[in-house]
Amino acid sequence: MKLENDKLHAGMTVALFALVLLVFAVVDMAESDRLFSQTENRILAQRPKWSLESVLDGSYEREYENYATDQFVSRDTWVMLKTRMDILLQKKVIKGVYLAADGYLIEQHLPQEYDGELTDKRLDQLRQLTERYPQSLVMLAPTADNILTEKLPSHAVSYDQSRLMERVKGQIGEEHVIDLFPTLLEHREEYIYYRTDHHWTTLGAYYAYLEWARKVGYPPRDYDPQDLETVSDSFLGTLHSRINLPMEPDDIQIFPRTNRRSVKITYDFDRETSSYYEPSYLEDKNQYGYFLDDNHAFVEIETAYYADGKELFIIKDSYANSLIPILAPHYEKIYVLDLRYYNGSLFSLMDQYVTDDRVSVLVMYNCIHFLEDFSYR
Amino acid sequence: MVFSSITFLFRFLPIFMILYFAAPRRMKNIILFLGSLIFYAWGEPVYVLLMLFSTLSDYIHGRLIDKYRGKTAAKGLLISSIIINLGVLGFFKYSDFLIGTVNGLFGSSIPLLDLPLPIGISFYTFQTMSYTIDCYRGEAKVQKNILDFGVYVTMFPQLIAGPIVKYRDVEEQLHLRKPDITAISYGCCRFITGLAKKVLLANNLGLLWTEISGKNPSEITVLGAWLGAVAYAFQIYFDFSGYSDMAIGLGAMLGFHFPENFKYPYVARSITDFWRRWHISLSSWFREYVYIPLGGNRRGLPRQLLNILIVWMLTGIWHGAGWNFLLWGLWFALWLILEKLVLGRILKALPGVFGLMYTWLIVLVSWVFFAIESGAGALDYLYVMFGQGTAGLYDSPTLFLLLEYRVLLVLAAVAATPLVHLLAQALLHATGSVTVAIRRVLEKLIPAMLLLASVAYIVEASYNPFLYFRF
Repeated sequence: MKLENDKLHAGMTVALFALVLLVFAVVDMAESDRLFSQTENRILAQRPKWSLESVLDGSYEREYENYATDQFVSRDTWVMLKTRMDILLQKKVIKGVYLAADGYLIEQHLPQEYDGELTDKRLDQLRQLTERYPQSLVMLAPTADNILTEKLPSHAVSYDQSRLMERVKGQIGEEHVIDLFPTLLEHREEYIYYRTDHHWTTLGAYYAYLEWARKVGYPPRDYDPQDLETVSDSFLGTLHSRINLPMEPDDIQIFPRTNRRSVKITYDFDRETSSYYEPSYLEDKNQYGYFLDDNHAFVEIETAYYADGKELFIIKDSYANSLIPILAPHYEKIYVLDLRYYNGSLFSLMDQYVTDDRVSVLVMYNCIHFLEDFSYR
Repeated sequence: MVFSSITFLFRFLPIFMILYFAAPRRMKNIILFLGSLIFYAWGEPVYVLLMLFSTLSDYIHGRLIDKYRGKTAAKGLLISSIIINLGVLGFFKYSDFLIGTVNGLFGSSIPLLDLPLPIGISFYTFQTMSYTIDCYRGEAKVQKNILDFGVYVTMFPQLIAGPIVKYRDVEEQLHLRKPDITAISYGCCRFITGLAKKVLLANNLGLLWTEISGKNPSEITVLGAWLGAVAYAFQIYFDFSGYSDMAIGLGAMLGFHFPENFKYPYVARSITDFWRRWHISLSSWFREYVYIPLGGNRRGLPRQLLNILIVWMLTGIWHGAGWNFLLWGLWFALWLILEKLVLGRILKALPGVFGLMYTWLIVLVSWVFFAIESGAGALDYLYVMFGQGTAGLYDSPTLFLLLEYRVLLVLAAVAATPLVHLLAQALLHATGSVTVAIRRVLEKLIPAMLLLASVAYIVEASYNPFLYFRF
């Protein structure tokens, strides 16, 4: 009797194993492929084409494995399961993101990845720029890991961006540098960084704006953080995508004043709009694209403000997108260049726009994007 | 193909198993043979010919050895078989190592062949040699059925990472296997255990080792260096023994009974003990086909020590064509010899914990040689472990890593002891109706959870290496 029972249960174990493999195999093969993973924000591997050559050298087999893995049935659920197990194992950093206190996700930047020759090259190019255009100002925003340090897990190590700031000051002279560390540190208890995204919030950008105004000596416009209007309460940003766990979404806010006056914005010499904001993005995953229509190589803004003919040329990353609407009233025209999408010569482009002293130059990046992306020909 | 992949788990395995179990008994071997060829050819399509050549060669040698049994020709045929096997192995595995050494010694510039190493070649050549040798010695019957022999050589469960199955261990099972549901069920659980060891423990601890060893030695702290070495020790153990578990499990599903390859090596109390527990099928192969033929311990102590030295040089170099592997083997030979001479008696007299710590120390140092292929790099790392040229005793990054991996390290440490096994045994022999009911649930629930967890880590595979491409 006991023996019969043992056999029965052995059979159940085998059936369970076979069932799991078979069901997933069948469903997986029947399911159609996806081109893009919204949650992971990346293009998934597609079915490779086979050829005698690629099969024989093994590259087809490797690509097939990538394809099978990327397109595996309910991939998103597996990824989430893995993350949950990592959390169960008490991991505090998952895919380069710290699970920080107070429901914050904070991107990890390790010192060894950012120290080194790269910094010298960036600083060198920055110096050439400020020497050629002495009216240039450089504003590098620290990322959340350098400001919200109290929220990081214990013994977490971050690349120290205040040291980068000191080097920038030494290289191009303090008069060219807007140091955002003091003001952002002062307001670190406030909602200045998104909890689920690597960008700063409009409030963070606002404090940077005050610092900028102080530096250039303009009286700041009377924006009031009390007036911030929430345009979305469902923003789950890039850091959330990497972790992909249920989280309380972020709010996206704007100062209502920045949206009152019609402006003329030309994206890449082509498409024209009349607002800094693109509400269509709020329906989608990439909600930060709401600001200035995500990323463009070149944006021309006619602000419809009277500013004594003053113009601004900005070389920037996406951090600037939420700042530009705030500082726009100080200029009549703003030219926005994203070096990642521009392959021409920087100086010959700038010479077309920066014709005299009425045109200011602003370099606006976060410290990490600056090290990663600030390079020009 | 590797076991811890979507292609294997959700393409190859289900299709193969359906065909295999649906087929009538006389068709099973042909399905196993063809399936194994496809398994091997996936990623190594050209070298499948080499494996078939090796199979054919040893099949013919076996037949001829049998035919000329008792005559001098038989001995010649045995030597021919060994030369062909070692020739193939030597050419594909050691050519560039030899060329590099010659170039280094004489300043010549003979071009390297740059041949990719055929996966599993060290495993299957050792298996086929065991066949011809046993055949010559009369310890195994000649195999007249080329298909059965082909199945022995190419069988996918142990093809690429062992265990090294001696021919006579599976001789009968090659043509007569009784399907047995208890064995199949055991095989499933064993396979899942191995998969989980590889994917959940080895891969994750491998990340810790990669992170630490990737640093410049001057930036590693003493604590970090030890942490890294321990992580690597666990990685290679759970990876390798995980592969063996998967092989044994798959074998059991098909009706084969493969030998055990690991027996909790990290609870060993001496290096001698360690090598009775680590990669058992390899050390017993060398023992049987090298150590004992050389005279073993029967020709006096000096000869025995020499034999140990020879066997462990070969063991080292078997693991990869590089000086570091030779050094790794010699390192063990040194301690094995010392244990034979004096150390063994001292260890016996001391409480067991000393033996345990001593073994861990020797083994950890050995893994540094093993893992870091450049001698200078390994030395730098060892210096750091013993407090020379380091960034200090510990620092924040090290403490962070320790915190990040503390749960995994504890789990690994527990899993490396027989504790879980003993618990399972206790549960298995318990008779109370409640305990039995609990056991019935657990024996299905735990493998199911481990399987799903492993699949999750495979699907989200940031790190899933195959460590034996050098073997």
